[in-house]
Amino acid sequence: MLVSDLVTEAPSDDVREVVGEARDRTRFEEEALELSDQVYRVARRIAGSREDAEDLVQETYVRAFRNWRSYEPRTNLRAWLLRILTNLNIDRGRRSQRAPDTQSLEESDYFLYGKLDDQSESDVEKLVGRLSQDSIVDALAAVPHDFRDVVVLVDLSDFSYADAARILDIPIGTVMSRLHRGRRVLKQQLASTEVVA
Amino acid sequence: MTARPDCSKCEELLQPFLDRSLTADERATVQHHLENCSACDRCYKLEEVLWKHVRNCCDQQAGLEFASSELKQKLSDLRTPLV
Repeated sequence: MLVSDLVTEAPSDDVREVVGEARDRTRFEEEALELSDQVYRVARRIAGSREDAEDLVQETYVRAFRNWRSYEPRTNLRAWLLRILTNLNIDRGRRSQRAPDTQSLEESDYFLYGKLDDQSESDVEKLVGRLSQDSIVDALAAVPHDFRDVVVLVDLSDFSYADAARILDIPIGTVMSRLHRGRRVLKQQLASTEVVA
Repeated sequence: MTARPDCSKCEELLQPFLDRSLTADERATVQHHLENCSACDRCYKLEEVLWKHVRNCCDQQAGLEFASSELKQKLSDLRTPLV
């Protein structure tokens, strides 16, 4: 057989399969990398520090690239990646925090505004703008993990309750109750910041 | 802040209002109340603006960190080699 015969010979099924898989994997990896800044944003809020967030994202991608076959194409890849990330974060032995049932929580959703409101400032944007980036970031970091995860997914990352429930593997009702409680804890934290107090 | 009896009802509906999970009747109740109660109307506006601000602050911080880090390159390096 001549070499030219080998070259023009139709690829065997095995070869076609290998090439097809390499192409699918490449596409998967590219799509996952496109989302890396969004994955980092979530990691940054649920991990304690910038370094922890970077480590967590790297571990997430190691696992994602290794298990890419279990991702179902055309489903929500960002949710799939974040499910890995939140599981890893729990595996890393983050300190489990009890929901602060006993922590006194202001009963009012208007509480923060009662403190923040300043009759001389009618523009609500300016009023809220007095809360600095640092105070916001610190206040969110002080919200217990379980509540914070839900706030980060729903309020900061636009996931539906159903997606947040799937990512965190908890019932939708729990997503809603944690969300409302988490929002209230955050507002309570903000109410105690210097600018407001 | 909750001087009027229907203010407490309005406050109770704040979170579900933001989540768009109110029934049409509840939504109408809230809207009617907001038109007539400047205190509640201001609180609802503050809540909306607050969450937008929280989101912007968090996005801005993480966005700058990500851009100045070598994380994207490190993640690319984790890719499976083609050969």
